Amino acid sequence: MKYSNELKVGISIILAGVIFVLGIRFFEDLPLFRTTYDLETELDDAAGLIPGNVVRVNGVTVGSVDEVFINPENNRVRVRFHVDRDVPVREGTETAVSGLDALGVVRMDLLLGPPGGEPVPSGGFLPNRSEPDLLTSLANRAPVLLDQVDRVMEDLGGVLTSSRTQLEDPASDVRMLLLSVRSTVGALDETLRAERRRVSSILTNVDSLTGALSNAVGGGDSLAAAVQDLRGLVRRMDATLAGLDRTLGGVDTLLGKINRGEGTVGLLVNDPSLYRRTDSVLVSIEALLADFRANPGRYLKEMRIVDLF
Amino acid sequence: MARHQFGDKDVSASCRAPNDIPRARPEIRSPPMPSSVPLITRQFSALGRYSVLMLGAVSTLTEWGTYRRNIGTQMMRVGVDSLPIVCMATAFSGAVTTVQTAYQLVSPFIPDSIIGAIVTSSMVLELGAVVTGFILAGRVGARIAAEIGTMRVTEQIDALESMGLNSVGYLIVPRVLAGIVMFPVLYVIGTFVGISGGLLVGSLGGFVPAGDFLDGAREYFQPFDPVFGVIKAFVFGFAITSVSCYMGYYADGGAEGVGRATTQAAVLSCVYLLLADLVLAATLL
Repeated sequence: MKYSNELKVGISIILAGVIFVLGIRFFEDLPLFRTTYDLETELDDAAGLIPGNVVRVNGVTVGSVDEVFINPENNRVRVRFHVDRDVPVREGTETAVSGLDALGVVRMDLLLGPPGGEPVPSGGFLPNRSEPDLLTSLANRAPVLLDQVDRVMEDLGGVLTSSRTQLEDPASDVRMLLLSVRSTVGALDETLRAERRRVSSILTNVDSLTGALSNAVGGGDSLAAAVQDLRGLVRRMDATLAGLDRTLGGVDTLLGKINRGEGTVGLLVNDPSLYRRTDSVLVSIEALLADFRANPGRYLKEMRIVDLF
Repeated sequence: MARHQFGDKDVSASCRAPNDIPRARPEIRSPPMPSSVPLITRQFSALGRYSVLMLGAVSTLTEWGTYRRNIGTQMMRVGVDSLPIVCMATAFSGAVTTVQTAYQLVSPFIPDSIIGAIVTSSMVLELGAVVTGFILAGRVGARIAAEIGTMRVTEQIDALESMGLNSVGYLIVPRVLAGIVMFPVLYVIGTFVGISGGLLVGSLGGFVPAGDFLDGAREYFQPFDPVFGVIKAFVFGFAITSVSCYMGYYADGGAEGVGRATTQAAVLSCVYLLLADLVLAATLL
């Protein structure tokens, strides 16, 4: 199918027009087909704001600046901008200019009002919340900072001057210290030169020792077995100590009872009268047995064999 | 009636229609100045002849019947036929700009999105118009000068004048109008292709993600930039076509003169294009 020249030219022109319009809206971060509405604000200082700068709400681009001019009535900066119709701009919404003019990235932020407020109509006015930008804040603090820097530089100069005086004075501690360090380093150097052979020998021995250690430990299996045995031994010792601990606990309990005079042994230990009575009984028994061995007939004359069997 | 061929156009119909035939203008072609005349004088003379020629073209703008048959063809040749080479050149320009910008941005403090901002601004403000202008200066400017110059040395223009046709309105106006109308079209499409080429190479080559590229382009975009580019395109279109028409219209010396006029048309178009670029940037930005 052959198209006429006029048709091709017309298509080219329309295509360019569509690309131009949609391209500008796209790069202005505006919806390609949705409509926008205009708003205005006034600033004390534009801070580099120019037409085309974006308008944002919480970091989301919702429009762009159309016009920045001086209001002849009050000599303030009047800014006209448009935002997407879907943005809920209500009463209480404020504007603020932010960004760095030096980098060319200046933008207008909308600080939205409470959700319950009345919507601001097209062409409405929004108040501005003036906040100095970063560079302005730095410029305001510059005198204080410069004073501080000046003092620091003066202190630094004093330190450097005193250091220089110390270094230039032959009798100063710093000079003496440097001389001492220099002589020490010289002596150490001489020692190292004189003992070079021995140092070399020592290093060789250390090398061979580390090699032997490496060979001894090199068998990973034997080392692992040794560690395993050691671990078993420690486990057994642990169990033994636990048993010993339990036994000592029992002994401790028993000793406590004895100390408190509980039980027979406790009474024996803690009651001296019982001890004395027992002692006297044992003395009496001993005297009785002695008498029995000396005079058995006295105790057996009444015993009859028949009674015994 | 004999059919009269001028260039690739049949003007017999114009000769037959009394209402479409404009009154013949006085001859605006002055004899060439001898080489003994100082260079500065010759240059001022050339400027004067160019001005008179363009004024003559402007005065025939109302004579729609003179050039209406030609303008569609010229817009096709100047605009649509140039689209492929313009798109190719601008696509490579955008791609190369992306790669070189990424190569030069080595600081960790500069975000990758700056690449998108630089490429887009460069294409919209400068490369889209200038690259397209150089392409048209070589392709269209040389062709216009060769066509009109050949008609001049073969006395076809004299024949037009003798038949009562206004040669300026018939030959120059449609070409200049085609340049003025179609150059912005080529600029817009070429710039779009150039930015797309930069975006494509940046994302596929791993220089900058597509999202960062577009974020940077949007961050630093100024609505006046494309308007400035279109203004440049109008001026470039006029400069290239009018200078080429001038060189061809005043060609002399046979085939050699046509070749000389063609070369001069291409070279002078590029020079005036750069000069206009500087003047516009200094006055409008």
